[in-house]
Amino acid sequence: MHWKSRIIAAVLAGIGLAAMAGAASAAGPTCKDGAIKVGAVSTVTGPADFSEVPKATQAAFDAVNAAGGINGCKIDYTIADDKADPAVAAQAARDLIDNKEAVALVGSASLLDCAVNSATYSRKKILSVQGLGVDAACFSSPNVAPVNVGPYTLSTAMAYYATSELKTKKLCAFFIIIGGTQEAYKKAIENWEKISGQKIHLLDLTLPFQGDLTPYVIKARDAGCDAVLTNQVEPQVVQLIKTVDAQKITGINWLFLAPGYTEQVAKALADTKQPIYVGTEWEPYTEKNSAANAQWIADMQKANRPLTAFSQGGYLAAELFLKVVASIDGEVTRESVAKALHDMEPLTNPLAGSPYVFGKAKTHSPMQATKVMKLEAGAWKVETPDWVVLPQAK
Amino acid sequence: MKRASLRASLILIVVALVAGGVAYAGLLPSYWVFLATSVLITGVALQSLGLVAGRTGMIALCQMSFAGVGAWTVGYLNLAEAPGGLATWILIGGFAAVPFGVAIGLPALRLRGINLAIVTLSFATAFDTILATMTYPGQTDFLQVPRPELFDSDEGYFVFVLLFYVAIAVSLEFISRSRLGASWLAVRHSERAAAAHGVSIATAKLSAFALSAFVAGISGGLLAGYLGTLVAENFSMMQSLSLYAVSVMTGAHFAEGAIIGGLLVVMFPEILRRLDWPQDIGNVLFAIGATQALSTGETMSETFRRQFRKLLPARAPKAAAASASQLPAPIERAAGPALSIEGLTVRYGSVVALNNVSLSVASGTVAGLIGPNGAGKSTFIDAVAGFLSSYQGSVRLGGKPLEGVPAHLRAREGVRRSWQTNRIAPELTVGGYLALAAKGLSASETKAVLDWLDCPHPDTLVASVDAGTRRLLDVAGVVAARPAVVLLDEPAAGQSHEETLRLGQRIAEIPKLFGSAVLLVEHDMDLVRAVCSEVTVLDFGQVIASGPPAKVLSERAVKKAYLGIEEESVAA
Amino acid sequence: MNPLLTSAVAGLTAGGTYALLGVCAVFTYRLVAVVNFTGAAIGTAGTFVLIALFEVGFPIWPSVLAGIAAGTATGVAIGYIMTRWFGEASASTKAAVTVALLVGLIAVGLRLTGGQHPHNMPELFPGSAFRLAGVEVTIASVLTIGLAVLFTILSDLFLNRTKVGLNLRALADRPMAAELLGVRVQLLSLLVWGMTGAFTTFALMIIAPQRSPNFMTLSLLVVPALAAALIGVFRSFWRTLAGGIALGIVEGLASSIDSVSQYRSAIPFLVVLAVLLWSQREARWDEAR
Repeated sequence: MHWKSRIIAAVLAGIGLAAMAGAASAAGPTCKDGAIKVGAVSTVTGPADFSEVPKATQAAFDAVNAAGGINGCKIDYTIADDKADPAVAAQAARDLIDNKEAVALVGSASLLDCAVNSATYSRKKILSVQGLGVDAACFSSPNVAPVNVGPYTLSTAMAYYATSELKTKKLCAFFIIIGGTQEAYKKAIENWEKISGQKIHLLDLTLPFQGDLTPYVIKARDAGCDAVLTNQVEPQVVQLIKTVDAQKITGINWLFLAPGYTEQVAKALADTKQPIYVGTEWEPYTEKNSAANAQWIADMQKANRPLTAFSQGGYLAAELFLKVVASIDGEVTRESVAKALHDMEPLTNPLAGSPYVFGKAKTHSPMQATKVMKLEAGAWKVETPDWVVLPQAK
Repeated sequence: MKRASLRASLILIVVALVAGGVAYAGLLPSYWVFLATSVLITGVALQSLGLVAGRTGMIALCQMSFAGVGAWTVGYLNLAEAPGGLATWILIGGFAAVPFGVAIGLPALRLRGINLAIVTLSFATAFDTILATMTYPGQTDFLQVPRPELFDSDEGYFVFVLLFYVAIAVSLEFISRSRLGASWLAVRHSERAAAAHGVSIATAKLSAFALSAFVAGISGGLLAGYLGTLVAENFSMMQSLSLYAVSVMTGAHFAEGAIIGGLLVVMFPEILRRLDWPQDIGNVLFAIGATQALSTGETMSETFRRQFRKLLPARAPKAAAASASQLPAPIERAAGPALSIEGLTVRYGSVVALNNVSLSVASGTVAGLIGPNGAGKSTFIDAVAGFLSSYQGSVRLGGKPLEGVPAHLRAREGVRRSWQTNRIAPELTVGGYLALAAKGLSASETKAVLDWLDCPHPDTLVASVDAGTRRLLDVAGVVAARPAVVLLDEPAAGQSHEETLRLGQRIAEIPKLFGSAVLLVEHDMDLVRAVCSEVTVLDFGQVIASGPPAKVLSERAVKKAYLGIEEESVAA
Repeated sequence: MNPLLTSAVAGLTAGGTYALLGVCAVFTYRLVAVVNFTGAAIGTAGTFVLIALFEVGFPIWPSVLAGIAAGTATGVAIGYIMTRWFGEASASTKAAVTVALLVGLIAVGLRLTGGQHPHNMPELFPGSAFRLAGVEVTIASVLTIGLAVLFTILSDLFLNRTKVGLNLRALADRPMAAELLGVRVQLLSLLVWGMTGAFTTFALMIIAPQRSPNFMTLSLLVVPALAAALIGVFRSFWRTLAGGIALGIVEGLASSIDSVSQYRSAIPFLVVLAVLLWSQREARWDEAR
């Protein structure tokens, strides 16, 4: 090659680089090494499996990557299992932050990630767009903002639904209290009392996580409850209703939170005549024809992922995060992502009844709306086609 | 012994200095320092478990509950803004766990392993549910447990935890080689033998539990500072169970066993994550490892130690060489009966094992008690030494009645016994055993006593001593304590003729050298004839003759009782 | 209606379960000298085989049989480990082994069955037997208590009246000696393991629909069961039976009293502690050591 052509090539290359750099600084995010590193700490093995949440996040990111990424940046996503073991969870979070150099956590779903790691997140100045906030700390930490309503707000919402729609006079609430949730559930009921102006008829915070439920259903019956609200998770929902049926109790509406809203529960309780209601976190996932679900269903089917409520959460977290990242001008770093999330405008998504916003508040629970489902002959039916949006407490 | 402790401690401190230096100088990425801190905290918890499970041989399934008490205490002190900072809080947390340890230890006083396992497991379940309902103090206000300023960084906190680890490991090293530590091993091996040395079983077990709870509490406090805030799952029953499995597998009562265990607990999740394997494989492997360790009866640390010893040139400890002049001085005692028994009757249900037996041993003499198998000789010793729950008649030591005095207090009063079967904890050294048996023996005195009975060097491990020599060691321990009365239960069984002759000489010297009266229970007629000034003969629980040996052994009734037995006793 | 009586009756179901599992634990201990911490986990394994078969559409009773066979096999497998490698080990070593195995079994069980989804556990005996103090006493709970009583009687008769039983007791005391007497130690031990495995499996199948059928929670039923066995000092079947039922009733009572309800799972611990301190109030020397 002649020296002239070498110079020309070098000059052209220089111009090209400058042009690309100029284009990048003008608008949109850039990244070192062409990748944006993102992680999630989730319970995959152990007593529960929430892996469908981050796997849906993964699917959404994969779709974006396949289409060329955000402004050329591929999302490099790592799912870390915490085994519902605090020590492993802490290790996993540190691994993502220190070794994988994640810029944010997206789509995490764990029994104890927030409680164990939120301190680490604030020390390391990293934010988490939680795909499914489970423990109370997810809704009481400055560095975590879940995309789901969460059991506490949902408790208030279901109680509100019971009094406003089911015309319940004697609402009873039975809660399983595990670490750090007592205050949160008490506050949920207080909020409902403020909104509805009613008093709770019976509040029992001693429901056992394991063990016989007969004494509790007898207690509810003898107290004359019209409706019973509980935070039972999936297997216990079935156990509770079977116990109720065994005791031949009638005339009580049974209100559950989102963990009860699964096809397995519907199938296992196909024979019961009890009126069973659940509140959803997002647009009911069993409504395959709903317009709100269309995009999610299409993307999940493309990725060959199951259509469950969990996968809605992971998908939603990914979608919201992608929009926030797209709004960043300049290099995507932990700082720039944190700044973008802190300063973001509320984002709407058809899957959720409320707009999502992270913001700078000390605690976050942006989602305040649910849809109520009723169990009819082994299938879930939408009871409230419109979102039940929780009014602000008076 | 002291020297061995010092040496082990020095090694530990040097290793710790290097580790601390490497971490503090920033030679390791902070993530690895973070993991190493976790290894050390788990190591502290494992050491606490090694104390009860490894040393005293009790199955403790609630160790993490004790840690929870420590952790929650630290949380409350933080919330209350108590003075003193984290280090003080951690110590207070450790002390807060002690009452729980003692409360759990109480039923262990009279229970053996299995019942204790059930008690501790149900405690762990109970504690689980109670802890699960309690929010960690300060969590709702997002209040973290602050680290001391000097140790705030990952590296700094590693050094902070390292200081605790070393302090605990060194203290445990010294304690384990002390008389208290020897008493734990003795209790684990045989409670009766331990009590016969004047060891209070209650004190030994409760001290182990209290100390173990204290150390576990500290590990909880360290965890609080490490993670800032905690959840109940940190201390759940499953954590206690898998910690137990790990401690069984690695041998947590060794300093290196605790570290290996900590490494396994921390590195397994790390390795599995890197391999992208499911996390729950860890518990399965721990279960298999523990089962394997239990089936071979050898923990990982013991395997390593054995392999390591093989590598080193065998360095046989020199035989003890000390002159008889270095023997501990005899204790002067008044003349008259050292031990007098009147009308001793023992019944097992409808069987009368001893019927109205009277016998007396004069101070400064060797008396004999003989009789065919099943005559009640061992029952007699059990009754005198306090190992029977009830008997009739009176046992007096120098005129003082012993009724109602438990075995370990009788031993301290001056009634000491040896055993027919070997009951010496094999994990002890010969010197350690003598220190347990005879409180306050100096090093030269120990050597002199061992030499006097042809026993091996004090640093020799009991496990490597042959059975015959262990019996001599048993006798050495008993006489070294210089009690008022020594009860020797067939010391010559299993010894050769020459050895028996020599042993006979030694037994005859006991009153003069140690100031103890001896009651010798034997089959070997030659031995009895050679050393005893008085002989009592038992048959079917009754005294059939007593007096000077020459006279008694020629009596017809005695010959009849022994007809056909004599040959057998020579053969034995 | 007396609310205390109501809640006591409500605790009967749990009591029957504890009693049955407790009697099985005593049976195992007296015959093969193992305090078995995996007792409930063995039954749980069988129960989940039933659930798995039922969920893929097999008819219910063949699935039950397959489940019991699986539980028996699990019992025999653990029994094989115990007799093969720990036949001559001390009681506490054997207990420690079962603790280690429990850790592994729970991990494997959770892995295979999944923790959070409810399984469609068929009710083998649906419906209620009678109404007492305003509580429907279900057929299942009557059946558990009945089964517990039946097993108690059978065990009692078997151990004290039959030659095989006497042989087995000799075996538990001195395996070596029993071997010399011509007792086929290994075979008999495995038989015992298999039998208790089958019984616990059937028991857990009956009660699983009223519990949350989760591998871990079902496996940990061993805690109150062993507490019941301790009440019987691992000897008396009748005291174990009474102890188990009493534990359930006390738990039921506790759930009706708000101030203690939260701490009701501490009850087995307190009961065990009290029983032990009472029954062991006299110093005894362990004969073996």
